[in-house]
Amino acid sequence: MHTLSVQTQSTAITEPRWVRYTLISITLIFLSLFLLIPLISVFTEGLRGGINKYFAAMVEPDAIAAIQLTLITAAIAVPLNLVFGVAAAWAIAKFEFTGKSLLITLIDLPFAVSPVISGLIFVLLFGLQGVFGEWLAASDIKLIFAVPGIVLATIFVTFPFVARELIPLLQSQGNDEEEAALVLGATGWQTFWHVTLPNIKWGLLYGVILCNARAMGEFGAVSVVSGHIRGLTNTMPLHVEILYNEYNFIAAFAVASLLAILALITLALKTFVEWRVQTQVLINDPDVAS
Amino acid sequence: MSIEIQNVSKTFNKFNALNNINLHIPTGELVALLGPSGCGKTTLLRIIAGLEFADKGSIFFYGEDTTARSVRDRQVGFVFQHYALFRHMTVFENVAFGLRMKPRAQRPSDKQIQSKVDDLLNLVQMQGLADRFPRQLSGGQRQRIALARALAVEPKVLLLDEPFGALDTKVRKELRRWLRHLHDTVHITSVFVTHDQEEAMEVSDRVVVMNKGQVEQVGTPDELYEHAVNPFVYQFLGNVNVFKGHLDQDSHFHTNDDNRVASASAYVRPHDLEISRIADGESIAATVLSVLSLGATVRVELLDVQDITLEAELSKELSRTLDLKKGDQVFVKPKQMRVFTASGAVVAAA
Repeated sequence: MHTLSVQTQSTAITEPRWVRYTLISITLIFLSLFLLIPLISVFTEGLRGGINKYFAAMVEPDAIAAIQLTLITAAIAVPLNLVFGVAAAWAIAKFEFTGKSLLITLIDLPFAVSPVISGLIFVLLFGLQGVFGEWLAASDIKLIFAVPGIVLATIFVTFPFVARELIPLLQSQGNDEEEAALVLGATGWQTFWHVTLPNIKWGLLYGVILCNARAMGEFGAVSVVSGHIRGLTNTMPLHVEILYNEYNFIAAFAVASLLAILALITLALKTFVEWRVQTQVLINDPDVAS
Repeated sequence: MSIEIQNVSKTFNKFNALNNINLHIPTGELVALLGPSGCGKTTLLRIIAGLEFADKGSIFFYGEDTTARSVRDRQVGFVFQHYALFRHMTVFENVAFGLRMKPRAQRPSDKQIQSKVDDLLNLVQMQGLADRFPRQLSGGQRQRIALARALAVEPKVLLLDEPFGALDTKVRKELRRWLRHLHDTVHITSVFVTHDQEEAMEVSDRVVVMNKGQVEQVGTPDELYEHAVNPFVYQFLGNVNVFKGHLDQDSHFHTNDDNRVASASAYVRPHDLEISRIADGESIAATVLSVLSLGATVRVELLDVQDITLEAELSKELSRTLDLKKGDQVFVKPKQMRVFTASGAVVAAA
């Protein structure tokens, strides 16, 4: 096995001690104020009424419905974006075609526009007064203020994660190995399965984790299309908002703490995968490995 | 398996990469495509492989038209410039890949694959490294694994793209000799691309010199070196001195202005340039610029009366007798030269 190259610090670019400590302290103070304290307060607020009330808030039927809907949404949106993302990244990294830069811009669009606008687009398209509204109503298909709308909005908002992660990775790897596989008689599918996928698997997983985190936590776009129908079209973030607006703080923070736990798990996974991606990059570029 | 290339042209974005190429590669030969970068040699190789398709023209393998066949069905072995080994697979799996990807009906059993891969690793002298990953190998070792992997599917034609390009000089020389030896054992029709004329001359049976998308000359290394058909081939195959001058009525070359009929240039290899202290009828006066010892030979740089820098190569002994020093006035005379007219045609009587 190779080892990560040891970074030797050059004294020429090292700042004086007081500068270093000041910078580190500022970062730590900022992080505690804006991240750590809120995180702790989510849990303390949730547990304020005791452990029983904390768990009662989670097993209450509306909460369970919200958790289920969140999981269903993620279970649909993430695999779809996995397939779309791989396809888009593949097309951009491996082929030359006109309109390529436009496609790259389009992939970034969900990041660029406010999630509320993203939601609004779907209302304008599929709502009762929308472009396809009449046709949908006539065909008895309900998208807006229903589960399909929530899934659609989530797919839209989380689309860039997988593609963004894979494009640079695929580009840096080039086509050589794929060409070698084809010359050796492999089919396109065999080439993807045996050569391309193993080389991008950690980057792909990283994209999926980020995509999943956003799919479960998305508020803005989902809020616009959901209609906030309790027990039916409420996801976890929406449920938290409703509880909070009803001054039901303990329940609101209890459900919020679930989302926080989810975020912490994501963070741990992300760190692990990031570390794997880095070793993969080192393997890809043997000159960097020592 | 002979390869026939007929009227092949290829254009990339209005850039003429290949211009009406016609080439015959006989069965069992090791042929080099030699030329400066951008001359189209790699494109031609990729078209033979089926990794690229020609805009016009046809490719025949052993009389069979393969122009429209995909790379999978051409049964070629291809060794990439940077080897393109599968980095997540061991050496064994890399070599076995082509066998494992065969359709189920043709796929050999695990036992057959094992023995086939062992044989190939023996052939490329890499036995014992089967469990290594490509990143744990040196450049020369990777090159050999790439070759073994290409040979595993028993290709009819072996194509190599700059096979020694990324290696250091010593390993490169070793591998060249080894490839030549391997070809003598396996006898598979092989084509390799290189920009290094020494490499092409040393390894191949036949060299195809290319320039600007065209074939300039095809021949054995000796033929090319001795009978270059145009100035480009002459210059590309080694160092050269150029004398500008004229032809007289009898097609004799002169550097002076008498009897001029047509302008022409004489090309002389450095080792064909004779240096002496005494003038004779045909010799040209020159000043020594520098004397460089290169081990077995001595390279002398001179400036002639036309202010052109000349290069001569002498044996160590001769240089000792002459005792040349910077600034010395000497006379040079070509022992052998090749004269081309201004349009690049060879002048028969020189």
